[in-house]
Amino acid sequence: MITPGHLKEIYGYRDLILRLAWSDFKLRYKNSVLGFFWSLLEPLLMLLVLYVVFSHLMRIQVEYYQLFLLLGIVMWNFLDRGTSMGMFGIVGKPGLVQKVYFPRDLLIISACTTALMMTVLEFLVFIGFMAIFKVAPAGPVLYFPLIFILQFVLVFGLALALSALNVYFRDVQFIWRVILQAGFFATPIIYPITIFPANLQSLVMINPMARIITMARDCILYETAPAIGDLAYVAAAAAVVLVAGYLIFDRLEPKFAEEI
Amino acid sequence: MAAVVEVEGLSKTFRIPHERRTTVFETLAGAFRKNEYEVFSVLEAVTFTVGEGECVGIIGDNGSGKSTLLKVIANILRPSGGTVTVRGRMTPFLELGVGFQPDLTVRDNVAMYATIMGLSNGVIRERIDDVIEFAGLARFEDAKLKNLSSGMQVRLAFSTAIQTDPDVLLVDEVLAVGDMEFQQKCFEVFNRYRKEGVTTLFVSHDLNAVRRFCDKTLLLSHGRQVAFGETGEIIDRYVYGGEGRERPGEEARTGGAGSGGAAEVTLAPQPDSPTIEEEAAEPRRWGDGKVAITEVELLDKFGARGNRFSSFDPMTVRIRYLAKEKIADPIFGIALYDEEGRHLYGTNTQLKDHPIEEIKGAGCVDLEVARIPMLSGKFLLTVAAHTREGKPYDWLDKQYSFEVVPAGRDAGIVEVPCRWSRG
Repeated sequence: MITPGHLKEIYGYRDLILRLAWSDFKLRYKNSVLGFFWSLLEPLLMLLVLYVVFSHLMRIQVEYYQLFLLLGIVMWNFLDRGTSMGMFGIVGKPGLVQKVYFPRDLLIISACTTALMMTVLEFLVFIGFMAIFKVAPAGPVLYFPLIFILQFVLVFGLALALSALNVYFRDVQFIWRVILQAGFFATPIIYPITIFPANLQSLVMINPMARIITMARDCILYETAPAIGDLAYVAAAAAVVLVAGYLIFDRLEPKFAEEI
Repeated sequence: MAAVVEVEGLSKTFRIPHERRTTVFETLAGAFRKNEYEVFSVLEAVTFTVGEGECVGIIGDNGSGKSTLLKVIANILRPSGGTVTVRGRMTPFLELGVGFQPDLTVRDNVAMYATIMGLSNGVIRERIDDVIEFAGLARFEDAKLKNLSSGMQVRLAFSTAIQTDPDVLLVDEVLAVGDMEFQQKCFEVFNRYRKEGVTTLFVSHDLNAVRRFCDKTLLLSHGRQVAFGETGEIIDRYVYGGEGRERPGEEARTGGAGSGGAAEVTLAPQPDSPTIEEEAAEPRRWGDGKVAITEVELLDKFGARGNRFSSFDPMTVRIRYLAKEKIADPIFGIALYDEEGRHLYGTNTQLKDHPIEEIKGAGCVDLEVARIPMLSGKFLLTVAAHTREGKPYDWLDKQYSFEVVPAGRDAGIVEVPCRWSRG
């Protein structure tokens, strides 16, 4: 659990977290000619497809739609990667789990860190696009780090629960993929939340990711500071998910080495 | 002396379900049926304490729970009952090269493994060149690990692992891999750790290594703690006591093992009782049966029967016979073979100038071996009674076997009495 003693222990393992994250990051692009460029190319290709489909065929009218879309994709990708890689954090490393001791949540932290590294690269692309479209962020952009930290906590909490459940029930991974697929369309990534009528909007906004992405866009692209209510909601959701994630993880953790 | 590792009433059970549910669907479908499982007890009530700087060996047959014990101490598995307390920084050597990634370079892997073993980044930067140098892989430092031979990988893992400076070291059969030179290196490193006062727990099948390194030894059998104490004593109990091991068929034939050094031998002569081995094999027993060899006992230094002996220990071959009529001038003999059937030694009462005038009824003759000269291995024994002319009364060809476990460090099959000196 998140006790000061545990945090101190985790801090003592910071070298290992970074080393594991970095080596996973490198392994992702092993044997590929373009290497790191793939992580830049992937969201761009996705952007291209979605942009063509939704701005021309569906005629969605949004200011800076390309940037709007790209930011949504990058933020969602972080959730997608962080939870998917985190989910395999335990079952994907049987050697480490069965032969050495360290706090097991460290593996999940490192998986989420790998996802973070990839997202940072994507953000570099996003910044490049902002320059191309001559969009300069204003003061409210300062809220973005806070929003992103909350997303990281949310992703980490989900990954903790998923990784632990995946040790016992291997079909969690398939179920989660379906949920992610559905989530991609149920979250305002390719469309603005305003396309829904008001009553449906509040329903969609139950999803903390919907609020995270909307707030991120507002503060980066539209010079609008997030509402305190939204921030508080997301913070509360992230905290609940984190605690729930730790409860599940700590409950199942003692038998990882036997069940893996 | 402060206790560094305390194990108190430790038990560990595994639950093995009859029907393993690994998917959500199976769990839902099976939720209304009772999931039956077997409880398999791996460790029971193990209690011992290791003082600072002590080296403790853990021995026992396969499946006796040695490795599980080490994993529980290493905090990889959680105990089902009892407590384990470890004071100080612990480094487990349960496997060499944990976390090696075949697709990363040698350099990256050393850094990775060193981090897993608990070295800080600063120390790694400082020592990484030495490590690669020591493994003899300086030329390959940018090669991918998968392109290295397995021997090179082990060397690399080992030279990385020994950079750690733990307070408590857990070693599980790491020495079993690698060639002679590598093993020698391992021994040197463990000696160094010992001198530095590192507390060590050492699981091994190599009794010789345990004898050399360990002050105390823990003997496990089927998860139970049989004995914990001074190494020489415990190894004797393991080798001779019949404790902590299952006796193979050989024992059943000679009438079951006496246990725990008890010298009691009760035997009724059982003429020609057929044994499994005799029935199965081609005739390996012949003779006119005027003298029947009813029993051959191998007695260890405690006078107890057994079929495992430490080299350099004494041993007695007791041959029990039954002469149906009065037989004059019989000769009893033995012949010793190695496992491949090569004849190593033979002698008899005539050659040793120990004439037996006549025998009638049941009796026994002993062949006393003052010091077993073989270093290690399995050996076969032929026992026979025959006339002066060599006509067999009863010939049991390679019907008995025993095992010799090493007690020293010399290499080879037999001991040559010798010493070094400088002229």
